[in-house]
Amino acid sequence: MYQYIARRLILTIPVVLGVSIIVFAIIRMLPGDPARAMAGPQASPQYIESVRARYGLDQPIPVQYVTFMSRAVQGDLGVSVFSRRPVMTEIGERFPRTLLLASVSLLLATAIGVPAGIISATRRNSLFDNASMIAALVGVAAPVFWLALMLQLLFAVQLGWFPSSGIGTPAHLVLPSVTLGAASAGLFARITRSSMLEVLREDYVTTARAKGLAENVVVYKHALKSAMIPVVTVLGLQFGILLGGAVLTETVFAWPGIGRLLVDSILRRDYPVVQATVMMLAFLFVIINLVVDIAYAFLDPRIQYQGGQSE
Amino acid sequence: MSIGKRFALLVLGVAVAALVLTGAGAPEPEVVERDTLTIAIGAEPESLDPVNMTSAPAATVGEHAVERLIYMEEDGSLTPMLATSWDSNEEGTEWTFQLREGVQFHDGEPFNAEAVKANLDRFLDPDVGAVYAFLLGSVQEVEVTGEYEVRLHLEEPFAPILSHLSHSFIGMISPVQLEEYYLDDAGEPIGTGPYEVVSWDRGDRVQMRVNENYWGNIPEIPNLNFTFISEDSARVVALETGEADAIMAVPPTDAIRLDDDPNIDVTYQTSVRTIYVGFNVNHEPFDNKTVRQALNHAVDKEIIVEAIFEGNAFVADAPIVDAVFGHSSVGPYEYDPDRAREMLAEAGYPDGFDVTLYHPTGRYPQDSTVAEVVQDQLADVGVNLTLETMEWSSYLDFLYLPEDESDYRMYLLGWGTVTLDADYGLFALFHGDQGAPAGNNISYYRNSEVDDLLERARVNTNPDEREALYADAIELIWDDASWLFLYNEGQVNASRTYVEGLIHHPLENLSAWEAYFVD
Repeated sequence: MYQYIARRLILTIPVVLGVSIIVFAIIRMLPGDPARAMAGPQASPQYIESVRARYGLDQPIPVQYVTFMSRAVQGDLGVSVFSRRPVMTEIGERFPRTLLLASVSLLLATAIGVPAGIISATRRNSLFDNASMIAALVGVAAPVFWLALMLQLLFAVQLGWFPSSGIGTPAHLVLPSVTLGAASAGLFARITRSSMLEVLREDYVTTARAKGLAENVVVYKHALKSAMIPVVTVLGLQFGILLGGAVLTETVFAWPGIGRLLVDSILRRDYPVVQATVMMLAFLFVIINLVVDIAYAFLDPRIQYQGGQSE
Repeated sequence: MSIGKRFALLVLGVAVAALVLTGAGAPEPEVVERDTLTIAIGAEPESLDPVNMTSAPAATVGEHAVERLIYMEEDGSLTPMLATSWDSNEEGTEWTFQLREGVQFHDGEPFNAEAVKANLDRFLDPDVGAVYAFLLGSVQEVEVTGEYEVRLHLEEPFAPILSHLSHSFIGMISPVQLEEYYLDDAGEPIGTGPYEVVSWDRGDRVQMRVNENYWGNIPEIPNLNFTFISEDSARVVALETGEADAIMAVPPTDAIRLDDDPNIDVTYQTSVRTIYVGFNVNHEPFDNKTVRQALNHAVDKEIIVEAIFEGNAFVADAPIVDAVFGHSSVGPYEYDPDRAREMLAEAGYPDGFDVTLYHPTGRYPQDSTVAEVVQDQLADVGVNLTLETMEWSSYLDFLYLPEDESDYRMYLLGWGTVTLDADYGLFALFHGDQGAPAGNNISYYRNSEVDDLLERARVNTNPDEREALYADAIELIWDDASWLFLYNEGQVNASRTYVEGLIHHPLENLSAWEAYFVD
């Protein structure tokens, strides 16, 4: 088990390195000069040149990359071209907010999606089943932008129940987390339902029913644990997606998290912030994957981790 | 208990928990006593440290906390701020400023001549690298001549120095803070302004509270917030729900809708930027003044302003906007396609001609649509345009070429006279020695009479005489028509009707120090 974890950890290094090279290269292929973007259209050519020199933008790209990585491993991600503050500070301020938003969204999605999936499975083809599966489809398919605007218009402008944007109170969390969590909730409902249906056909469930156990006991004591395995996988991956996918939600709701920082920084050609943010998100995704794989072992004893022995 | 009931209970539980957690069961009771003004702006300042500021949002937020020596009113006139009076020697090479006494920075440090010198020296220090240091490019030395008197020594006479000193980016921060952050960014600036910065929550808002020791009229509203909502529709929604009391940069389509809302006031104001189509006067057919004038007659500017900008733009009546010092109205060229055709025939082009118009896309609001309308209207008089667009920085590289390498005939561009002084809007664009790439005269226009007038206006220290010189220059520039003069961009802000006294400045600043609440 520990060997397995160690090996998986080592494997993350080439993944993160690969991501860093790709990100570094892509940003520099974008049209638009960060020095000009920073200096404004009315700045002199000499000034633009001095900005390039100050941020090392006049160096060849491989040299820039090596400089960046050697500093990054020491915890120095450089300085934002836009705000002139350390990138670590920028990300450090924004990341907890995205974490909060993603966590609440996931919680919400789980609290709604999983029970809905279970009930749909146990009452297959009922009115509830059909209604919740249509709702799930809408949740998955509705464009974030549209959903966000509709929620703002209904709950902020018309009803005045929740603030339309910004941060500050827990009420500010409601609309963004519903927007962000809607797709996940739909996905969870569908996966829970199909997984549950599969499990309910298993022999041991039939046996349990044959013993005369109450249906509730059969569903919640015997079937649920097995049915949860695929859900947990998706749950973990969804968390990674929510962290990285909050870009639109954060923009519409003026939520000052990492997603909005990323979008703003791309528009400003703020190389240091873009590369650090994308790399951090990639790294998180890799770690979450690892955690999900490990979590399997605890849920399903049939899954064995042989480590180096199998080779 | 059935599963259905369980589920119903669960849903109920989640809902109750959510309500308890958020305390958001009902709309908050109407606050009778308002003590905070919240203004939502579209972009976050890059910095509030004068040496690092580059944008209008930074100026809008910053000028509530940090002040300059001179203030520029909405009409371009200059009034005392931290300087009470000023004077120059005969030649205009030495400017002496009397400073306001008894002013304190928010940290209690006294404001005096030493503080001014420290701030201006830092602004001019190449190691600091202030983006707008060029505004004070003519300043050679800042001399302290008394506790409340400071003298600027200029390399050569430069009359616009006063309006340049009024620029939002030449603000005075506490010498203590300045020393600590000399080469770095001061973060939350400590100035002398009517409001002081309480906190800057990055990505979200800047919070300010009133400066009780302010030297001028102390603002009525105790707390001031600037929040950053980049998404246009979300910013409008924030105003409609009352979460924001005022917003900047309302999209044209929403402006019409908000105009109908009895709780919302929409304010239309000019900006400082004028949009034009430049001609390369070295190349046929635009080396002929009659052709250039004919094209000015062939475009209906009214239509552009009304149809594309819903009235939120203004037909240009001079090469600079009317808020700029030195502006005088000479236009517009009357829309008259028949006359345009006659003039083209007279110039030897009875059947018109074909030419390419280069334009940016997305750099200015609706820029490519404007190019299409110009194309459509010129086709009416036989001038057939091919439209060609480029990415912005490539476009600038393409335009800013030496005279003999330039290959374009027509280009669409804008210019913001951010100092509100005609020198900044005319000298670099119409003086014959300011040809690209060194200057911004991309039309390579040259008229020695204009050159002479612009040079004299630059060194003359008498405002009335300067105005007269610019009036003459503008008349010649207009008649020579090296541009197809189009329109001045507007800006739209909106506020709740219970807010009064906001200042909507042409420099795209929204100022709240005179604001107050009404019922």
